[in-house]
Amino acid sequence: MIELPSRPDRRTLLVGLGAITAVWVVLGLVFPDSWAGVLLSIAANPSTHTTMLRLAVPIALAAIGGIFAEKSGVINIGIEGLLIVSAFSAIIVTFWLGSGESTLALSHHWWGFAVGVLVSTLFALLFAVVCIDFKADQIIAGLAVWLIALGLAPFVSRIVFDSPNTAGVGYFQNVTIPVLSEIPLLGYLLFDTPPQVYIMLAAAVAGWYLLNRTAFGRWVVASGENPKALDTAGVDVRRVRYTAVLLSGIFAGLGGAGFALGQLGTFAGGGETAIGGRGFIAIATYLFANYHPIGALLGSFLFAGLEAMQFQLQNLGYAVPTELIRTIPYATVIVVLVFVGKTRLPEAAGEAYDGDED
Amino acid sequence: MVSNRRQFLCGAGAAGLVAAAGCVGGFGDEGDGENVEVGMVYATGGLGDDSFNDMAQQGAVQAEEEYGISFDEAEPESVGEFDDAQRSFAESGNYDLVNCIGFAQEEALEGNAEEYPDQDFIIVDTVVEADNVRSYLFDEPAGSFLVGTLAGLLTDEEFAAGDGETNPDESAVGFVGGEESPLIESFHAGFEAGVEHTNPDAEVFSSYVGDFNDTATGQEAARTMYESGADIVFHAAGRTGIGVFQAAEDEGRFAIGVDDDQSVSQEDYADVILASMVKRVDEAVFDAIGTVVDDAFEGGEVEEIGLEDNGVEAVYGESIGDEVPEEIRDEVDETREELIDGEIDVPDEL
Repeated sequence: MIELPSRPDRRTLLVGLGAITAVWVVLGLVFPDSWAGVLLSIAANPSTHTTMLRLAVPIALAAIGGIFAEKSGVINIGIEGLLIVSAFSAIIVTFWLGSGESTLALSHHWWGFAVGVLVSTLFALLFAVVCIDFKADQIIAGLAVWLIALGLAPFVSRIVFDSPNTAGVGYFQNVTIPVLSEIPLLGYLLFDTPPQVYIMLAAAVAGWYLLNRTAFGRWVVASGENPKALDTAGVDVRRVRYTAVLLSGIFAGLGGAGFALGQLGTFAGGGETAIGGRGFIAIATYLFANYHPIGALLGSFLFAGLEAMQFQLQNLGYAVPTELIRTIPYATVIVVLVFVGKTRLPEAAGEAYDGDED
Repeated sequence: MVSNRRQFLCGAGAAGLVAAAGCVGGFGDEGDGENVEVGMVYATGGLGDDSFNDMAQQGAVQAEEEYGISFDEAEPESVGEFDDAQRSFAESGNYDLVNCIGFAQEEALEGNAEEYPDQDFIIVDTVVEADNVRSYLFDEPAGSFLVGTLAGLLTDEEFAAGDGETNPDESAVGFVGGEESPLIESFHAGFEAGVEHTNPDAEVFSSYVGDFNDTATGQEAARTMYESGADIVFHAAGRTGIGVFQAAEDEGRFAIGVDDDQSVSQEDYADVILASMVKRVDEAVFDAIGTVVDDAFEGGEVEEIGLEDNGVEAVYGESIGDEVPEEIRDEVDETREELIDGEIDVPDEL
């Protein structure tokens, strides 16, 4: 039997990370021209922060959605597909309605946004039916959701626009709250930012509250850990799982539609589409965060922040291979799973629950 | 005359294009290509990309109109499908020419050129050495050098047009690339050298996004450059470049497009597109088909298409290009002459 090195507990880990950060900051301040100094000035640059917030939106929201599904026992690796369909339908509906106009006092961008969330929820419903009622393999069904979305979006786009890429519909402008936006640091981070960032922050808090502070949240956890016990306690497991998977559709839809109408403004359907694997990074993010919604938000800040820093580094002439940066989320997850070992899949994740079994 | 012919074609619509082409041919003025069939294998990304593939298709359509040829198309979705797409054209034996668009088809064509020695091919953007393949290379570094010249000159000017303006205090421009590959790096190298040539003090930011469809990342990369003081950003990033135009709109700065005149194909952003580095892929395809129609196709050769025949050129933007000061245009024109005369060495790699 191989003896594994003992895993560090949380406190040592935090102290260790804190010490490394402190050394970095001190080094950076003392030697501004060194690597530490350059990185510090980039990390402190407001432009890095705003870029990070915008890029975190689809990752954070899809991750929070994924948490609900997986915690309830249904592994939803199709969230990449949900991001694609919600982003695409949000844009195409806005285009059909006519961007820049409004109906019933609500701008067409918001109607498109609502439809995007709806479409994502419908796809999640389909996934739920297949996995929960028909007991299909969740991984295969999830892959199917992704592959269908990957083909469907460019296909519809070709019919409508004669091209895999849609026309442009513009995107949300920053919402600036007077006075509050003047506050240093917090001002431009929280009070002068596009609407999808507010949605992301609110959703993270709502997701945390729902999962950790409500009866429904406890049912979700029980449904993933020990569905039989939940059933015995008189709660309908099927219903809890359905609700949780639909929630994953809603959150991913908020992420996809918010990203599409807050930043993309047009949908590129070639290759891996404009979403480009952000849903998979979201999965890595919630595993990294051990299914904690706020942790997932912070994790998405980390990954989006690294990408934002990479632009600045390239600007300063440091060649950072983008391919390498893109592997960071996945590498981090492996490191976290192996060495920190706090993330543990719910006991019954991936298994269909059959209440009538015996 | 043009509209007459169009009416005539419309009238003959039921008879079909072949019949119409035959009639036109019957007048004896042009085209004896009605028996010529051409296969098009597009680059991944397919038609509707508003650039590379669409331009190649334009060339084929032009040949259809002028010579009466007919063409069939294949749009492979991944590099692995090129082989099959080329093979299915070659295998049938019905095609007089197979046009392979894009450097990524190189490897597949190397195999197929050998396997089907009687089939004529062309390939764009790379070289395949075989007697039945004609390779078309564009002088992207020179074209990029030229737009680099323009950017280098403008960044120090106080210039406002459309939705953008420069910041004369900052002397900086930028380049956003798609995936890192020798081809994209040749755009980068040419651009950087062009800026350096006219404005040695200007800073050139550069960033590779790693994807040709990731508009959001392209937007953030360009935004970072504009916020660091860049006035003009040139992109060679396919669809990712739309993000560059969006960032230019948001920041009130300028961008330079690529492949076709993007102030026309992306007219939403015409107010920030100063110019585009145009690669006339359509001309290459049209010329190649022309040689087949004339029975003069010569394989085994590399055709280099450069500035002198406007195969690559700097085209000023449709809506704001006219506002570029006369003396800067003159200087760009002079540089073009010097490049054609070979007085300037343009690097093709970083």
